[in-house]
Amino acid sequence: MIEFSSTGKVYKSLLGRSVTAVEEFSLQIGEGEILGIAGPNGAGKSTLISLLLGYIRPTHGSVRIDGLEPRAYVERNGIGYLSELMSVNPNWKAEDALSRFATLAGIEPGDIPGRVDAVINQLGIDEHRFKKIKALSKGNLQRLGLAQALLRDERIMVLDEPTHGLDPVWTQRFRGIVEDLRKPGKTVIIASHNLDELQRLADRVAIIDRGRLQRVVQTGYSQTTETAGVYRIAVVSGAGLMSEMFPAAVDIGGGEFEIRIAGVSELNASIARAIAGGVMVASVVPSRSVLEQQFREAVGETG
Amino acid sequence: MRLNLLRYAMWQLRDFARDRGIALILIGLAIGTTILGPMKAMSIPFSDNSARQILATIISQVAFIAAFVALNGIVSNDRKLGYYRFLFSKPVRVPAYYAQQFVMFFVGFVAVFAVMIGLFAVLVHPVAPLAPLIYSALVFLSLGGIAFLISSLFRFDWPILVGVFLVTNILHSLIDDKEGFPQLLLRLLPPFQELPRMSAAINAGTVDSSRVFWLLGYSAICFVAGLIVLRRRPFG
Repeated sequence: MIEFSSTGKVYKSLLGRSVTAVEEFSLQIGEGEILGIAGPNGAGKSTLISLLLGYIRPTHGSVRIDGLEPRAYVERNGIGYLSELMSVNPNWKAEDALSRFATLAGIEPGDIPGRVDAVINQLGIDEHRFKKIKALSKGNLQRLGLAQALLRDERIMVLDEPTHGLDPVWTQRFRGIVEDLRKPGKTVIIASHNLDELQRLADRVAIIDRGRLQRVVQTGYSQTTETAGVYRIAVVSGAGLMSEMFPAAVDIGGGEFEIRIAGVSELNASIARAIAGGVMVASVVPSRSVLEQQFREAVGETG
Repeated sequence: MRLNLLRYAMWQLRDFARDRGIALILIGLAIGTTILGPMKAMSIPFSDNSARQILATIISQVAFIAAFVALNGIVSNDRKLGYYRFLFSKPVRVPAYYAQQFVMFFVGFVAVFAVMIGLFAVLVHPVAPLAPLIYSALVFLSLGGIAFLISSLFRFDWPILVGVFLVTNILHSLIDDKEGFPQLLLRLLPPFQELPRMSAAINAGTVDSSRVFWLLGYSAICFVAGLIVLRRRPFG
């Protein structure tokens, strides 16, 4: 459905200096998929999103959505887009802003008040609906941005740093909103620095660095060496036994131990051995998620 | 043009009224009272003819400044401030959006001048509104296409438009009487110098249609060039 083919984007300044933002980027994103895009600052995430929305054109290769150039696709269908930078006139009132975007999105005039009410309630900004944009806090502004992206049931959603500025409660609710978007025929792209969020929400995560696609990571766990790494085990009782059973375990205090494991099979066997030996286990979590590990390797930071 | 964009026209008109319309009326009142104040103080009586001439003087001064204010950032503001991101993620053609914005700004501009002329008729002396209204519309349309092109090309369009206006006027005053290449150069420059002459001609009812055609034609070509720029040039 969405296809980047050897896509490249080079910016040229008036003085002729070139900056390569994206280079040889090839990726296909299918219908029904939630794709995460992760990368350090300046990796090229925003450029990729601008290419996808047709705000800029590639200098090499191509981007196609349903076989169309992105701008042509957007002009015909629209894309649900939440920008990292809030881009609404500060003098507009929140409700007016949503009505405007609903009008532009092609929602029938008679349906606009109902649709606006629905997203206002969904995003919990009812008490701010008559406030000017400039009077909204960062979190409320972010929710308003998400509300305008959700106005119409778009086939493609592009969410750039969607939980930026949200408090923990709304970060949690946002996950629920994205899970609701997971439908056949719908594609969701989330660019985020928050690897934990991508690990939970995305089916795959494209890791980019210096404009290049470094690797694409499947976020689910499997019985492969990908799950090798350090795990953190919290115990309620039997902490003394842990050191005996796992001499390499590192006691990090508070009843927690870090153990290096070769894979999920070994992890399960180790936990079973600990429980059988009298240890009461409270929780087991990867010290670093699979995605975090892959990310560190991809962008050149190991350890 | 798609229905969603047509329905958005009223929002664009509302933006004009709030962001620019009030400022234009204040500019009109400031210039109007500056010209009318001394005459009122000296209790000079107004005849139909003198009232028409005074209104023409006020409108010719206000229209230029008002057109610059009204057209400032017509395209570039959205690029400069990033508003394009949400606007154009919706199913909207960028050139059509700004073409419609231009039309709504023109409607708003003429409405503002209708209000100003109405205020003059009520507070100073009854006047026929058509000639000053036509002149104000002509000023907007003559500057409009050029301002639209500049705004499509540059982020800081207002200083560039003023610069073009000043350079054109200076070149006209320096080489207007010279033959050959200087004349060719003047022909290529925006015909701003026609506008002051047009004010008197409209009031006298002696408008040279070829001059009007040249003024509006030049602006229309620039407007179309602006649309092509918006179609072809990346927005981000």
